[in-house]
Amino acid sequence: MVSEEATHLYEAFVSQDPAKAIQVVERVRSSGVPQTQLFDSLFVPAMSLLGGAWAEGRIDEIVFTQASVVAEQIGSFVMPPLTRPDTGVTVVMGSIHRDRHGIMKDIIASALKEAGYRVNDLGVGVRGADFLERLEETGARVVIVFAEILATARAVAGVRDLLTAENRDDVVMLVAGGPFAADPGLARSVGANGVIASAESALKLLGRVREDLLGGGAS
Amino acid sequence: MSPARSSQLLIAEDLARRGQLPAAVAACYEALAINDRDPFVHALLGHLMLEGDFYDEAIAASTQAIELDPDCSPAYLALGLAYDRRGGMWDQSVLVWHELAEVVPDLVIAHVQLGEAFAAAAFEEEAVDSWKRALELDPKEARAHYNLAIAALKHEGMSTALPTIRRAGELDPSQDELFFALLGLPAEQIEFDIATVKPERDARLFAAGMLLRGEDFFGASDLVRIVLDENPADADALALAAYAYLKQEASNEAMACALRSLTFSADLPTALYTLGVVYSRFPGLSKHSARVFIALAKSAPQHSLTHVLLAESLLGLQRYGQARQAYRAAVRLDPACVRARFGLAAVRLTEGGYAEAQWEIRRAAYYDTRRQGNFWRMYDAYAEGGDA
Repeated sequence: MVSEEATHLYEAFVSQDPAKAIQVVERVRSSGVPQTQLFDSLFVPAMSLLGGAWAEGRIDEIVFTQASVVAEQIGSFVMPPLTRPDTGVTVVMGSIHRDRHGIMKDIIASALKEAGYRVNDLGVGVRGADFLERLEETGARVVIVFAEILATARAVAGVRDLLTAENRDDVVMLVAGGPFAADPGLARSVGANGVIASAESALKLLGRVREDLLGGGAS
Repeated sequence: MSPARSSQLLIAEDLARRGQLPAAVAACYEALAINDRDPFVHALLGHLMLEGDFYDEAIAASTQAIELDPDCSPAYLALGLAYDRRGGMWDQSVLVWHELAEVVPDLVIAHVQLGEAFAAAAFEEEAVDSWKRALELDPKEARAHYNLAIAALKHEGMSTALPTIRRAGELDPSQDELFFALLGLPAEQIEFDIATVKPERDARLFAAGMLLRGEDFFGASDLVRIVLDENPADADALALAAYAYLKQEASNEAMACALRSLTFSADLPTALYTLGVVYSRFPGLSKHSARVFIALAKSAPQHSLTHVLLAESLLGLQRYGQARQAYRAAVRLDPACVRARFGLAAVRLTEGGYAEAQWEIRRAAYYDTRRQGNFWRMYDAYAEGGDA
């Protein structure tokens, strides 16, 4: 079925008919082929047919070029989604008060956004009360506190104290930064639920948090 | 007008140019015994010490040369590189590269190194300005591109940095060389007349490859066409056609030919290379490019760049740990691979390893500046009485 449609798509390319090409794509999509599969199951075989037609001399250089233009035009209809689906999970993050380090925070914020998390980045030098306020505003249940020097890392305990004082023990507090990576005991002592060591570990940890604590639902 | 060089200095120069460093150093000391106020000798000695990784000695000799002649541009180069390679002397380094950029404003390396010195001293904006200036002078300057990608990573994350890394990679001639190595072409360019190419498939494809290397796309396409007219299922010919289209920015034609080639030879490295590069141009096809580059790295594991391409596709999938492994494989095969070093720096930054990232960038600079051989160009220009 799909291979037949690939032939139809190829024919639409060669006849320089983008409307017909889109019709083929829509037909295949409505038959139940998910967007993530359209490129492999439809576009790739059609392009291979196009290459074959050019190699065999059934189409000349001009038709090959024009057909490729049509392929370009309908590319966005068959490409897998660029961004990953929204996880529904909101994450509040920032570097703790008196800590101006922001590189790791920015890299992790970008990685989480790319992975579909709703990131509220408060920047650097963030007071504990500001974390709490933003958690309340957004309804988030996950906060990531960054600290790159020992003195500020110890001060992260103040954020947990605030959360406890406001009866927000449901909030998952993750910490990141050199002192926490060097001394896992430090994270426990400040009341953190986990340590983020890298952008990749942030993705893994947030994935677990999402599954285990939030039941995969939005918050 | 520069003063005449002594015969002893000329002996030292000759030895140095032939790579006989210890003998050249000995000759420099003999020249200094005759005249210890010759800036040429001190500059050359500074370069030789730098080549031998004796940074403090290189700093001393180059400084002496500059004191004797503040216009001695090759000594500034050796001094700046010595500061950078030694590490921990970013303030002095900034001053030297700034001075050299003033003395020889079109010297690209001065702006690249100045940017790296600024970045190491945490002057990020000034660093970016320097790399942009380097790119104004040479839009293909790979290290300036890579440094800008690292700067973008620090502030905007991998999704912004990765396209810059890939763009730099495509400008880097070593990526084209990978294709020709996969094709099995000899490293040296062979001159030939198309009219004399034997009317045989292998001879035509070899000649087409050579023409592609010389960017004669039409000549190559004519030969490929003849081969395809005889056998439209010739996977090698289709792969060559795909590459020719790729180089002419015709991504869809390249994709069509590469896909067709792979239907006849599923693990043909040249077709995998082109298809992977095409896929990597589309942000939505990260998984596809990773799949293709995994196959390429398996079919041609001896080439460091196949691992680099794989690593970059893994960065696009946020698989930073696996990307690190692939980059390390590349660096094991070729420690001088600048692109892999910067890739490793990017991965280390995602892990909070700032010092390690900085170290990789310094190693990249080390190998890149050794490869460039700027010293002799500047030294000869200085000897002739002009700037570089």
